[in-house]
Amino acid sequence: MNAGKITLARKIFFLVLGALLALLLLPAPVVAQEIAWSLKYDPRTFDPALVDDQASEMVRFLTGGVLLRLNRVTQQVEPSLASSWTISPDGKLITFHLRDHLRFSDGSALTSADVVSTLKRVLDPATQAPVAEEFIDAKSVTVDAPDTLTVRVHLPQRVVGIGKVFDEIAIEPANHPSQGRITAGSFFVADYKRGESVLLQHNPYYWRRDVNGSQLPYLATVKLGILTNRDQDELRFVRGQYQLIESVPAENFSVLAQKAPHAVHDLGPSLNTEQMWFNQSPVAPIPAFERAWFTSRAFRNAISLAIRRSDLARIAYDGHATPANGFVSPANKIWYNQSLPPVHEDTNAALALLIKEGFHKNGATLIDRDGHPVTFSLLTNAGNHAREKMASLVQQDLAAIGITVNVVMLDFPALIERLMHTQNYEAALLGLSNVEPDPSSMMNVWLSSSPNHQWNPSEKTPATPWEAEIDRLMNAQSAAASDAERKRSVDRVQQIISEEQPFIYLVYPNALYAVSPSLSNVQFSVLQPGIVSNIDFIKAGAK
Amino acid sequence: MRLIAASILLLLTLTASVVMLGVPYHYAQQDRDNINAGATHQHWTGTDDLGRDRTVRLAGALLLGLIGAAAASALAGSLAVSAGMGAAFAPVWLGRIILYLSDVALTLPWLFLLMMVRSALPLNLAPIHSATLTFLLLGLLGWPAFVRANHARARTLRTAGWLVHGRAAGLHPLQLARQLLPHLAPLLLTQFLIYIPVCIVAEANLGTMGLGISEPLPSWGSMLLALQNSALSANTHWIYLPIALLVFVLLLLEMLLVEVKS
Repeated sequence: MNAGKITLARKIFFLVLGALLALLLLPAPVVAQEIAWSLKYDPRTFDPALVDDQASEMVRFLTGGVLLRLNRVTQQVEPSLASSWTISPDGKLITFHLRDHLRFSDGSALTSADVVSTLKRVLDPATQAPVAEEFIDAKSVTVDAPDTLTVRVHLPQRVVGIGKVFDEIAIEPANHPSQGRITAGSFFVADYKRGESVLLQHNPYYWRRDVNGSQLPYLATVKLGILTNRDQDELRFVRGQYQLIESVPAENFSVLAQKAPHAVHDLGPSLNTEQMWFNQSPVAPIPAFERAWFTSRAFRNAISLAIRRSDLARIAYDGHATPANGFVSPANKIWYNQSLPPVHEDTNAALALLIKEGFHKNGATLIDRDGHPVTFSLLTNAGNHAREKMASLVQQDLAAIGITVNVVMLDFPALIERLMHTQNYEAALLGLSNVEPDPSSMMNVWLSSSPNHQWNPSEKTPATPWEAEIDRLMNAQSAAASDAERKRSVDRVQQIISEEQPFIYLVYPNALYAVSPSLSNVQFSVLQPGIVSNIDFIKAGAK
Repeated sequence: MRLIAASILLLLTLTASVVMLGVPYHYAQQDRDNINAGATHQHWTGTDDLGRDRTVRLAGALLLGLIGAAAASALAGSLAVSAGMGAAFAPVWLGRIILYLSDVALTLPWLFLLMMVRSALPLNLAPIHSATLTFLLLGLLGWPAFVRANHARARTLRTAGWLVHGRAAGLHPLQLARQLLPHLAPLLLTQFLIYIPVCIVAEANLGTMGLGISEPLPSWGSMLLALQNSALSANTHWIYLPIALLVFVLLLLEMLLVEVKS
């Protein structure tokens, strides 16, 4: 009996051993093509029509099937679900021809009915889709489908750069919004754990194939961790848990470069700008003599001359920024005005300009023509290291011409309250993130009637002739029939801003990315998303 | 032990004063070609992320922190003893109101209150005024924690024979208060010493949120803010000096306190 048990135990032992050996000798299982990176916060929505934040936009980019796709590298619009598209000469009729045999991620057919349904939902004021604003008069836009593969969009008026608008409209099943679960893009949302992660799985019915006819995307899954702590983000990247960082803070770039020298990439100036400005609003609760300084073109130009932007880029951004001379970054190849004067730093010239304007020095203090010492507060948001440093550097630069600057750092809500509502501030230093290169996206900043016209918001009529000219030029570019005509208008606006300095542009922060060398086919761009814009072709573990 | 702690504190204060007066750098002076430098002959403990001499800034932060915290603590103590004595000697109903008010004040989220008050203040404040206001606010908000202790001590004294005799002899309340204070002195000293490190830490906390003392005035808060920058901490270990010194100063203050309590 005992011998029988031992024999049985031996048999089991050898069976298990054999199984283990067999497992060891078998070829290694194919590792799933998965990459991971982090979002800084939870996506506010998975409904592609309602996207209004960066995290949701990333999910929409990865999951949404769009008629046209803006190529982030060439900055040109390319066909996607639509195999071709045309615009009538008057710019009022857009015709899309869909690809044959399109399918959603659940296998159902995608036809013109789905496109019409999606577009109608986006254009419906009840949906409150942010992208609808880009049609200018969304409620007058009509959509129809003469056949299952053709869609026509009728616009009441020409809309410049209309092609890129369709990059933001993800086509969904007709009358069946799925919150990203059923998509026509590269991936679909497979799982979401609030505060933890978003799991995306590849769409087996995605239309796109590589030159060899292989189904794209190459990746099987994408995991987006929700991680607010940037240090943790970098730690996970260094450990190999994450394969990329979409935006590396300048002050951490060098440290990351030491830990992973082949992983970090500085693409040069991004589209973003950092600038300071003076409050010129007539309703601002500031003394009249201060408003007189701030509305003086000579005063603003003197401040601009006195600021050593090269030091701001070198010290505040650890060398990962580029001194700025205008609101269009040189990264914006199409719209940057090459003829703008280069950045000029000259403390003596600044002082001379101020003296010509009636200011004088009394010891180390600059005094205006009425005897007021020139002192003002400079507001910026607490917690942004680069801005805090820039404010201190500006403080020191202006001290050299006798101006006392009191740097004030406020938390963001308190800052916005002052900038947008009470207007109770003197000067501010902040940045502007430009997600797209087309200057039409900045209409809300440049039109004098706009509440985002920061130096003097919501003007009933333009306060100065140059602001009136900017209004006219920005409206002209938005209605111009040709790109050359638009470029002339936008160039002139850049020239005016450079002369009048309502915003004193300081630096263009560089686009800083980190990508694991284990990824291949990565294409970088300064437009967002900067690393995964060609997600279809990215391969993991290829090197 | 108390003597040693007090001596070291005094020595630190004197050294900081000598540094402030003797070193040829202003605390705001930026040496932009020497940012985040380590210790050199020019800059004994290196420079910060704007090229400012760390030794001078540290000395300034130490002096400003100690002086400001001591002033804030004195103010909080004065208010607390006034409220505590007032509650003990006032009619019962008034005493209760004072105590209730101090209890209510204790429940306030004072850090958020400080943030709100600080952000509501005029923006164009000179850095020294921002420092004054910061410590003034800390002083004004610190009193409720000590009211109950002062009240209890004052109540025990209220029935003391010498006080009853004094009142019967017709001494003016102010004269009585002058006689009372020496009896409250140990308690007041303890409260004073307890609240100094609280003020120092509170200022440092506010500073790390960008709400404390304005730049370029050196403060514990602004110096610790640099620690949040992980890149900097990787570049030079001298960045840890402010927090090391802050902990050392807090330990010395705690040693003073232990001695008083014992």
